[in-house]
Amino acid sequence: MCIDAQMLSAYLDGELAEPYRTQVKEHLEHCPACRRHLEDMKAVGDRIRSAEYPDELLDRNKDRIFALLDSKYFQNGRKVSFIRRRLEISIPSLVTAAAAVVFIFIGSFMFFGTSGEQTGEILPSFAVQAGSGSVRYVSDEASLDNFTLEEILHYLDSKGYNVDISIKGLQPLETPAE
Amino acid sequence: MEIKSTDRDDFRRVYDADYHLLVQVIMHIVYNLEIAEDLTQEAFERFYVKNMTFPSEDDARYWLIRVAKNLALNHIRRNKREIEMVEKVKRMPSAAADERDGASEAIERENREEVRRAIDALPENLRMVIQLKEFSGLDYKSISKVLGISETNVKVRVFRARKKLEEALRGEEDVY
Ligand SMILES: [Zn+2]
Repeated sequence: MCIDAQMLSAYLDGELAEPYRTQVKEHLEHCPACRRHLEDMKAVGDRIRSAEYPDELLDRNKDRIFALLDSKYFQNGRKVSFIRRRLEISIPSLVTAAAAVVFIFIGSFMFFGTSGEQTGEILPSFAVQAGSGSVRYVSDEASLDNFTLEEILHYLDSKGYNVDISIKGLQPLETPAE
Repeated sequence: MEIKSTDRDDFRRVYDADYHLLVQVIMHIVYNLEIAEDLTQEAFERFYVKNMTFPSEDDARYWLIRVAKNLALNHIRRNKREIEMVEKVKRMPSAAADERDGASEAIERENREEVRRAIDALPENLRMVIQLKEFSGLDYKSISKVLGISETNVKVRVFRARKKLEEALRGEEDVY
């Protein structure tokens, strides 16, 4: 009797327990049909794995992100990392950097959160723009006050953003302690 | 060996061992490297902030993959509208991109797209299992720990996913 396909799949993964493993192996030696079945299964796996991303690409920011976490949590960080704020602004980068307009709220307005409703109450005109789909704005409970405007601009510039800043509800920026 | 998430040496060890795996798991859900990196960072921040002690490095890894997977799935759900918009824009013909890409890169991209479509078409319970198996190279036991299902269940799902993918990918080839 030929090998059940599910068993063959487990065999392919090296997950078949004895005595089945040996039985399957022996059967394969004299059954071309099952060998072919196994080969087909392997081919599907190869095809899927060919869609894998290169290691260097996936690991490109490994050291950088570690350094950020390290300084944030283990070095009594003078600075709070803000690389994660890309979460709020990275989508337009796909659209093309030029299309992205990033609004940065500095000071009290940063604490109003990101819901469109709230924003609409405070800044009706902004809410309309924000609804356009190509505009994101940076907002976070953790304040950007740890950074100078220059640092923020430098960061966004390095990411290829066309930065348009509107400053509302301005509060004095604190210069980070040296 | 016990892992304390707020201990710097332990944190470093786990980070070095699992960063790649987490980016990869997330990448195959969100398909955007910047977002994958952000979410990986967030997974490790949660790991630290949780201030947990794990019985072993493996247990820390299972926990992290679970968190990474959930962060990625939440991201997809939350940003469905934006992602659709981005997809539309990406499909718009771009002369610059075509000239830049060599022929082999175009084929590679095409292949990736086909595989991605086939995987995306799988039901969610099969999709995660086959991704953890084929891309992350996890064994059945690890997958069962990450997803909280039995090893037998993993075995069945891997097989079903393979069968469906084989059909889907064969179907695409027949078109040409
Ligand atoms: Zn046979």
